[in-house]
This record gives sequence, structure tokens and C-alpha cells, in this order.
Amino acid sequence: MKDDPIAQVLDDLMRLDDILACMVARRNMISVMPSTEAFKPEVNPIWDNIHRAMDDVFGVIGAYSQIGLGEMEFRLQDYEVLFYVFPDTENALVAIVPALANKGLLEVEIENARREILKIMKKQEQEFQESKKDDAVVVNA
Amino acid sequence: MRESEVEAAIGMSRKWDAWEAGREVAETAIQQLKEPPSFFLLFSTIHYERYGGFQEFLDGVWDVLPVGTPLIGGTVAGFMNNYGCYSRGASALAVSYPSMDVAIGVGKNTKRNPYRAARQCAAMIQQTLKKSPYQNKFLLNFISGPVMPSIPGVGQKKYIRSGFVSKFATQVLGLSQATVQKGLGREDEIFEETSQQLPDYQMILGTSMDDYKGMRNYQFYNDKILKNAVVNLGLATNLDFNVCTTHGMKETDLRFKITKLGANNHAICKINDKPAVPELLKLLDWPEGFLTEETMLHTILYYPISLKRRGRQVPVVAPLIMKDYIFVPCIIDDGEVSILTVSGKDLINAVKENLDFFKQIQPEFGLCSTCMTILQTLGDKTNMIQEEIHKFFKDKAFLLFYSAGEGTFSSAKDITYANMSFNTAIFGNIKK
Repeated sequence: MKDDPIAQVLDDLMRLDDILACMVARRNMISVMPSTEAFKPEVNPIWDNIHRAMDDVFGVIGAYSQIGLGEMEFRLQDYEVLFYVFPDTENALVAIVPALANKGLLEVEIENARREILKIMKKQEQEFQESKKDDAVVVNA
Repeated sequence: MRESEVEAAIGMSRKWDAWEAGREVAETAIQQLKEPPSFFLLFSTIHYERYGGFQEFLDGVWDVLPVGTPLIGGTVAGFMNNYGCYSRGASALAVSYPSMDVAIGVGKNTKRNPYRAARQCAAMIQQTLKKSPYQNKFLLNFISGPVMPSIPGVGQKKYIRSGFVSKFATQVLGLSQATVQKGLGREDEIFEETSQQLPDYQMILGTSMDDYKGMRNYQFYNDKILKNAVVNLGLATNLDFNVCTTHGMKETDLRFKITKLGANNHAICKINDKPAVPELLKLLDWPEGFLTEETMLHTILYYPISLKRRGRQVPVVAPLIMKDYIFVPCIIDDGEVSILTVSGKDLINAVKENLDFFKQIQPEFGLCSTCMTILQTLGDKTNMIQEEIHKFFKDKAFLLFYSAGEGTFSSAKDITYANMSFNTAIFGNIKK
């Protein structure tokens, strides 16, 4: 996990005081966690409830991301959960913040993280396609 | 010929370690210049305080920056440049131009004695630039912003409901301003005094902040870290430039009369001869008890008040409410005022309107100060503003920083001080 560039982007987000947890996830699956794999302790008591609610939200994201659903959020007790959807996918960057946090400032950095992760994903996809092409050349030869 | 001699570059770092970030922000700017910079403007978010400290940060900068380069700046809530919009990191504007004289100045104890600090700082600029052969004069007036005093038993709050605590807190506010220099930034007073000291300068005002919490802020002056200071950058040049303020706030038909002011004209105590807060709620048709620490951010910030100061309109938001008193960030006069309203779209239109003012200028570089409440309000949609500004500057350098009190001054337009405003100083050449 430590060498995963997406995990490193999440690590950067986790250093901000009011980001209590963040991850790249989809319905029923957390794909990438910060490399320390630790959320801030205040989230722990409510994590199970947040996780369940997240899965329901991912149902909506799955249904509407193809037609431009970009962001979603919900509030559960004293926490807000922000979803920054990766365009045309069922995946999102998820961040949990305190309900009274200065959300605007955090949103700027969450969006920067989403853009950075998108770049990494595109690069990984490109490398994957190139390696597939190379494999095809070897097979043909 | 003149255009080709102007070199302007944006430095940028997203590193966490203070020394490394300082080094990188200077290096990324300097490596784009062929000549040493004539000045270096440096802004950073508050985060480096916990990742090595600001002295380390400045040491990193000076590890790269040529000795003797005039440097000012400070901590801000966020910044925007050619690369994007950020609420963490550091950015710099480095400009090299031979037909430009540069001066920097500093004044201390701004919260205790703002007029003295303003005069000290202006005198340093005047002294250095008085013999300059260049007629076009510019000043960046960058001032320590507000620091909320922590009230015993209450902490740092924006809304205090208790009458007893409010009375006590009002006294604490005045006392802490004079003794420990915690309280309002008094940037309006400093800006007013500076414009009187240097009337032939066009100016842009910005304030130093932390991450919107209003707990501390720092100013940079060469290799020194300061608190409660004003730092100035003065330029005399043959470049064309202008300054402009726009805000996008619209008047509503909700008008009222301020009939009693308090706290040295920083608090609205009575509206229409009645206690200010209940009367304001009645005017806005908001129920009693609607305003709380939590709802303030999402309600009252969208209803700024168009106040008056020496005949000028001063649109501001109320950052602090104590029982029946509405505190405002600047000195105001009493009389008839109106409630304003603003939307996200209005804010973005204000940026377009502002840039439209400069359509005769072929830009070489630009500096902007904007209210941090806009950053807080728009969040990641702030990128829409970045795209507008980037479209205007194309490959030319621009740096915008987020303040808690901003404005512009020119002898033609007088002082424009406003919250939720967008302020620009754009340098270049008038299109032929």
C-alpha cells in the first residue's frame, strides 16, 4: 500500500485536521485506503453506521454517474460524508469530516485530490493498455 | 521592446515539510526567470506552523532566493494561481523588470496602534521611491488579519447568545485589542491612513489569515516572521497598470436605520431604535433563535449589509454576534443602510466584470486579493473562478490570495473596502 500513488494522495488528505477518514471506494468495496490504513479515532464509534449509509449512496452513484452525477454528501449525527465521483464510473473519493468543519476549504483540497487520483488512474490505464499491446506483439511474433 | 523585458513567474509547493516547501516555492519561481527577481511575493497556508515552522520555511526560501531580493508576504487562507486553486501549500510571484524601482516597508503593533504602524510603513516606501524617475506607483498593503480572543468559559465563538457573557465579551474584546493584540485586524484604518500618506499610489489591500479559524496569522518581511504587522510592497515603474474592486452583491429593498453604534463604531447596537439582532431577524423574516454558531455560516454570510463610512459604501458581512449586537470588521458610520444579497453565480460574474475592466491592458502579470468567505462559500467550485482568470492571463503569471478584509485605492476612485469582494492589480501594456 505504501508505494501506491493513490494511497499517497489519500495520506496527504489525512494530514488535514478535519479530514477524519478518506478512501477510494465503490458499493460494497473500499478500493484504496490511506497507507497507514488508520482513520482518526473519533470516526470509530460511528464507522459501521457510516459504512452502511455509504453503500446506499453508492447505489445512487451507480445509477446516475453516467449522466453526470459529480458529487453527493450526507450528514449523519455530527459528521458529513462527501463523495467526489470519478466521472462515468461507480467509484468515488470519499471523505468524512466533522459537520462544523470549514467545508469550503476542505472541498478545494478534496477536489485537488480527486484530480490527482484521476491523473494516476489514467496513467495506470495507459500503461496497462501499452503492456497489453506489447503482449499481443509477442504472441503474434 | 518593453514587453519582452518583463519576466514574471509563479512559484509553487505542495510539500509538507516547511524547509523543503520554502526551497521548492522559491526554486520553481526562480528557474523560470533569466534575471534575478526585482521582488518576491510569498504566500503560504498556516500548515507549516506544525511542519517545521515558518522560520524553517523562510530559511528554505532564502536557501535559493538571491540575497537582497525584496520579499514580503504572509499566511493566507488559500491561494489561486496559473496551476489551480489550493487551501494548502505555498505560492510566490517573482517579477524581474529593469524599469521598476522596488521598496518594502514594515510597521508593527497594528492592532494596538494601526495609524502609527501605517505611517511607519508608508514612510519606508516613500523614502526609497521618492527619487524614482517612474511615474506609475503601486502599493500592496498586506496587514495582519483578525485574531479572535478566547473568552474565558466561552472560547472562540462567532455567536454568543448570553447577555451577561456578551457584555463581558465586549469589554474583553476592547481590552485584548490593546493589551495582547487579539481582536479585529483594523486593516480598514491602516488602509485609510496609508492612502492618505501615499495618495499618488494605486493600492491593493490584503490581510493575513490562518485556515478561516481566525486564531493566528504571520507576516513575512525579508527573512523575518512577524505577528500583528503591516508589510508593504511599493513599486514605481513605467509599466501600465490599474486596480479594480468588484463584489457582485445586490441591494435588496430591505432597508433600516442604524441608530446606535458601540465598541468604537465596530458594533451595531440598535436598528430603528430597537436592539439590533432581533430587529435584523424581523427584517429578514427569520424566526427568533434562528442564528446559532452553526447556522451563521450558511445564513448571515449570504446577507451582507451595505454600511457607510465617510460617505463611501462599505459592503460587509457580520463575523460576530453578541446577544443583541452585530459586530462588523471595520469602522462604520450610523444612518440609513440596506441589506444585500449574493449568490455563487453573482460572485463568478463579479470576477468576469472585474477582468472586463482590464480589457485595454495586455497583461504581463497580476495580483489579486479576494475574500476567504468566497473560498468557503464556493468550495471546489472556486475552480470556475480560476478558469476565468486563467483564460484572461493565458500563459502570463497571476497570483490570487484569500484575505479577511480587502480592497483597492486609487486617487480617481478613492478607497473601496469590502468583504466578499474581488480585487485586482493587473500590470502590462495598454493595447494599441
